Amino acid sequence: MHDMTPTDRLTSAALSVSSVRKAFATRPILRKVDLAVPAGEAVCLCGANGAGKSTLLRIVAGLLRPDTGRVAVDGFDMRHRPEAARRQLGLIAHASMVYPELTVHENLVFAARLYGVSDGTERGEELLADTGLIPFAYDRAGVLSRGLLQRLAIARALVHRPVVLLADEPFTGLDADATDRLLAVFRRFVDAGGALLMATHDIRVGLVCCRRVVVLDRGILIFDAGTDQIDADRFADDYLSYARSMT
Amino acid sequence: MRDFWAGLRAIIVKDIVVEFRARQVLPTMVVLGMLIVFILRIVSEAGPSGPGTALMGAAALWIAFLFSGLLAQERSFAVEQQNGCIDGLLMAPLDAGTLYLAKLLSNIIILSIFEGIVVPIVLIAFHVRFVNSWLGLIVVLLLGNFALSGVGTLFSAAVQLTRTRGSLLSIVVLVILMPVMIPASFALLVLFGALPEEVAGSSSLAFVGSFESAVGYMVAFDAIFVAVSWLLFGLILDEG
Repeated sequence: MHDMTPTDRLTSAALSVSSVRKAFATRPILRKVDLAVPAGEAVCLCGANGAGKSTLLRIVAGLLRPDTGRVAVDGFDMRHRPEAARRQLGLIAHASMVYPELTVHENLVFAARLYGVSDGTERGEELLADTGLIPFAYDRAGVLSRGLLQRLAIARALVHRPVVLLADEPFTGLDADATDRLLAVFRRFVDAGGALLMATHDIRVGLVCCRRVVVLDRGILIFDAGTDQIDADRFADDYLSYARSMT
Repeated sequence: MRDFWAGLRAIIVKDIVVEFRARQVLPTMVVLGMLIVFILRIVSEAGPSGPGTALMGAAALWIAFLFSGLLAQERSFAVEQQNGCIDGLLMAPLDAGTLYLAKLLSNIIILSIFEGIVVPIVLIAFHVRFVNSWLGLIVVLLLGNFALSGVGTLFSAAVQLTRTRGSLLSIVVLVILMPVMIPASFALLVLFGALPEEVAGSSSLAFVGSFESAVGYMVAFDAIFVAVSWLLFGLILDEG
């Protein structure tokens, strides 16, 4: 599928965003954003409302086209090899992207078939176990609670074993237990060599889960540092007062 | 190629399962279709040839098919808007053409089920005791089905993905389908024994000429519009 060796993938960026700009009508949303996420790294993307986080994630996911700039996923350019690039991507969005009329298991099998996963049924069962959804496997997605639906959305995003996982406010509506479970799923994904880009307002949870934090301010990346280079508590306090001042 | 067939099959099976569980489109289509048939049957009682004629039967069938069919087209992409499912489809490693073909075939299957229910009702209600060729009837209905679904699938995507007003779908699709309804009506009238196989003169039906040329026009329309829609579908997804 691609000619990178496992060693190459650990050293080169799994996700690369270069000089991406995007405007809606005349309003600039992203102004020359550059970001690289290597395999095996989790990056927390922070920013106030309207900073451009969701737009950046939608551009990376191939759901929006940037005005200028380039996105590459696992070495595949999103413009020139969109299908190959999309195959390496998983997205946990605000919406669950699941069909309420299908059961939990059917939703996963459907997603697996879309991606041509050869062991779709087994993979679906594996993810049901990972996300604690086995007791709900044959319930229709339409009857699930918000928390269970979010777990299903996570399982759906991982069903094709993506190299890059994008998560837009993944902790919204989750209780403490579900948050811990999701953090464990993310940790396993990153430990297995996946690249995670997670947009969140919950900076404290983001700092627990990620090794690097970037801050987007009105379409510009203004901060980029490893979590080992910052005092997490002080950073969280400073960020929260900054975010409050922006709203 | 394996991915193409797997993706195509997955979307079609999903669409049919979702429709049978949600029961949103088919029951509405059947009720609307039967209402149209019922009204035209009542109206035909006042006609000079008495209640129920093959002529009115052909008209009732295509009118019911067109208006009920539009409901299926509208629902086609509306179902993908719930829970942001359309993003899930657009992120899958399928090209736009595969997505279009899958949605087209789903619509054709749903319309065929509708036709399977409504055609016998029309035949009974309008006393159509004679059908020239059952195979011919199936072919003509399928060609009409392809025409409506080919155009309807494209415009359903345009309406849903670009958040255009829904009424646009009906207007545009009906206007585009007008040329194919002339040979379609001709073919059905021949099959119901209300017209000879060849017609001369200066009417719209005489312009079609014969049953063979009516089928030929329908095949040409379907081929052109399905191909054009298939090509344009990617542009609509980009705009969305």
